[in-house]
This record gives sequence, C-alpha cells and structure tokens, in this order.
Amino acid sequence: MKINKIKILMLPILMIVSTLVLTACGQTKSSSSQNQLTTIKNTHQMVWGVKADTKLFGLMNIKTSKIEGFDVDMAKEITKRIDPKAKPVFVQVTSQTRIPLLKNGNIQAIIATMTITKEREKIVDFSKSYFNAGQSLLVMKGSKIKNTKDLNKKGTVVLGTVGSNSVLNIKKVAPKAKVLQLQDYAQALTALKSGQGDALTTDNGILYGMSEQNPQTRVVGGTFTKEPYGVAIDKGQTDLKNSINKAIDEIQQDGTYRKLIKKWFSNVPGFDWRELLND
Amino acid sequence: MKNFVDAYSWINITYLFKGLLITLEVSIISLLLSFIIGSFLGVIRYSRIKWVSGTVGFIIDIIRNLPLLLIIFFTYFALPKLQIHLSIMQAAISALTVFESAMIAEIVRSGINSVPIGQTEGARANGLTSIQTMWHIILPQAYKKMIPPLVSQFISLIKDTSLATIIVLPDLMYHAQIIYGQNNNYIIPMFLAISIMYFVVNYALSLIARWLDRRLV
Repeated sequence: MKINKIKILMLPILMIVSTLVLTACGQTKSSSSQNQLTTIKNTHQMVWGVKADTKLFGLMNIKTSKIEGFDVDMAKEITKRIDPKAKPVFVQVTSQTRIPLLKNGNIQAIIATMTITKEREKIVDFSKSYFNAGQSLLVMKGSKIKNTKDLNKKGTVVLGTVGSNSVLNIKKVAPKAKVLQLQDYAQALTALKSGQGDALTTDNGILYGMSEQNPQTRVVGGTFTKEPYGVAIDKGQTDLKNSINKAIDEIQQDGTYRKLIKKWFSNVPGFDWRELLND
Repeated sequence: MKNFVDAYSWINITYLFKGLLITLEVSIISLLLSFIIGSFLGVIRYSRIKWVSGTVGFIIDIIRNLPLLLIIFFTYFALPKLQIHLSIMQAAISALTVFESAMIAEIVRSGINSVPIGQTEGARANGLTSIQTMWHIILPQAYKKMIPPLVSQFISLIKDTSLATIIVLPDLMYHAQIIYGQNNNYIIPMFLAISIMYFVVNYALSLIARWLDRRLV
C-alpha cells in the first residue's frame, strides 16, 4: 500500500519536473545557434540532409554505396561555391526526420525534395527555390479518375506519404476523399497497384519516375499546385542563407543548372525537361 | 516472375546481408547490455529495501508501458536537446537496451521468485552472506527457469531493431527499402527475402535455446 501512495505522489512530481526540464531546454540556445557559415569554412565540410529512396532526386546506389540524384548534385555545386575547399557530407534523411535533425544540429542544410511552405517557414529558413515541381496524380491505366475533381467524392481513397506537403494539398483540393499516408513512395505505389487506393499523389517528377517503371500506371490531370523546392537551413543562419542563394544564382547563370536538369530529367518519358528551365 | 529474378541479383542480396549484419550487431550489443543491466535491476527489484526496489520498480513500470518507437524517438530527437548527441547506431542501441532491460528485469525477478524460499534459508543457515546466496545458489537455479522467457524476449529484440528504421538505422529493413526504392516492383520480393532472413536468425536462436534447456535441466 505504501508503494502505491508513493507512486501516486511521484507521478505529478515527475510530470512537473519533466515539463520544466523540457521548457528550459526550449529556451536555451542549442549548438546550432553558432554561425554555420563560419563552421563550414573552418571545418571545410558541409553536412547535408538528403533522401536516399527517391528516384532522380536522391537515391542510394547499391553498387557504390553513394547517394545520387539531382538534389545531391545541387548540394555538391552549392558547397563548392560556398567554400572551394569544403567537402559535402551526406546524411540520409526522410520526410519525418529532416527537420528534427536540422534543429538538433546534426545537419547544416536540407536538400531533400522539400517544398517551401508558410508552415515550414515558421520553423526553418528557406533559400530561394532551386527546382519548380508541381503536384500531380498517378492512377492505374483505364481508371475513371482524370483530374482532382474526380477525386472529390465520398469513398475515394488518395494515397500519399507521411509528412509530405502533397497530402495537405490534396485535403484542400478534394476534401471529401479519404487520404491514406504510407511510409514511402514504393509502399504507396504498391498500395495503388493492389487496389487500396484510387490515386497516388505527389510531385510530378517523382510520379514520372514511377510511371517509367510501371507501364500499367498513368500520370493524369497535369499539375494542380506549384511546389518550389528550397534548401532549408536553421532559423537565424542569415549568412549561410545568403551564400546559398548566391551559389544558386551562379549555378543558374553559368549553365550548370541546365546541364544538371538535362542529366537527370531528359530520360523521363512524357516529360519535357526544358519545362523546368522556364519560370 | 521477372521481378523476382531481377530483385534477387547478387548485388541486391549482398546489400541485404550488409543490412543483416547491422541488425545482428545492434541486437547482440543491446542483448548483452540489457541482459547485464536487466539482471542487476531484477536483483535490486527483489531486494528487501522497500524504497530502493519500489523506485526501481516504478521506473521499470514506466519504461515497460511505453512504446519502443517512442523511446527510439526520444534517444535520437530529444536527447540532443539535453546536449547529448548520439549517433544513429548509439541511439538505437541505447533505446533498445533501456526497453529490453526493463523487460528482462521483470523476467529475472519472476525467475528469482520461483526459486523456493527454502534454498535461501538453507544457504543463509550455512553461513553464506546474502550476496553469496544470490550469486551461488539462487541465480543459477533462477536462470535455468528463465531460459524460455528470456529467449522469446531476445527474439522480439531482434525483430524490434527494425523499428529503428524510422531514425534511418541502416539495418536489414532499411536496406530492403533502399533496394525497392531503385525499382518499386521489388517491394514484394524484398519483403519475402527479409522475412526469410529474420525467420532463419530467430529460429536458429530458439533451437540453441532448446538445446541449452535440455543440457541444463
């Protein structure tokens, strides 16, 4: 009986203590408050968070154990322009882990198919957009769904991935549809193919990559949102943000950007890579 | 069928085995650590000093009733806020160790409880100290009885390492995800392959346990 009383007493005490500890931590500036640009120039390395499971943007090459993709190439070019001596270091992230890792100082910048949104801008700072994606739909060949209007019915199921912006968008465009969030794109595609959903939604570049490997699927309805991808950095890293923006300008002006877009997007069927150079 | 043949290419299979090695490494380290810490906590839990065993029991109760996924998130995302920076591997191992220690502590306590009180009384009557009694008389008998529950706990530990995929631990599960990221048609072949791998490892473990059981009893 005595132990029970102690337990009942300890529970609120423990809760109060842990709340105090956590709020105290929230107030103290973490290690990420130091000037990251200086850190990069001193240590000659820049730590990037990239995806390892997304075709065309960041995908692990099993043979070489290196991550390859448009995002990775952009990160290399940006690093080179910030400090010619610096080496880029790549840390694998997912949509769920990238912001906590940036906030904890494990990585200095995120370049992982991350759309610039107002919600996210409250937590992190974004560079200028380096890639203009747009959200689209992937359906099975012969599906009745032609565009987002067809989705806005009771009983339709839209598939997406956890923590992605596209899921929030589809809830606005088709509020009546049910949204099912899966762990990664491959699982979402498998769910579509096994009939667990009517359409898969995410950015067009990723969908074209899927459609290329699965001829029984189609990308339909064009793009219905603008999804500019940006490099995310921690709040208050203005120096780093400015040098990243400067680097992106240089990459676009000296023809490197065109070269990289052509390298990664010229082989996607039904997708004209030159479209990406406009805007 | 072509998907299966392509998915099981030599490169993919070796890549999966690299993931299996990480899974085994993480499991074995956390298994050893949690066995030591868990046994220690289990003995403390059994001790007759009320406030010590009560406090330890309370902490064990908290940990046992939290989802392991939450503990993994905590070690990787919340500890850095306290200026404790762990690598992915260290974070996964600490989370698993904390969780499994709590589970093993309860198994050890119930194992000790199952040894008849006469054993303790006899040992103490022969002049052994309480620590000697625990080490030489009680624990050897208790561990024999604990083999089946311990092994099933170890098996679930090996399976639980796959939860650390969420913090991008490059284990068997994550390597499978990377492979089906290359080609989405590989998803079913990969799930089949890793099912077989998990089964072989865990079944081997339970066979060893059965053999131990027969040898010792």
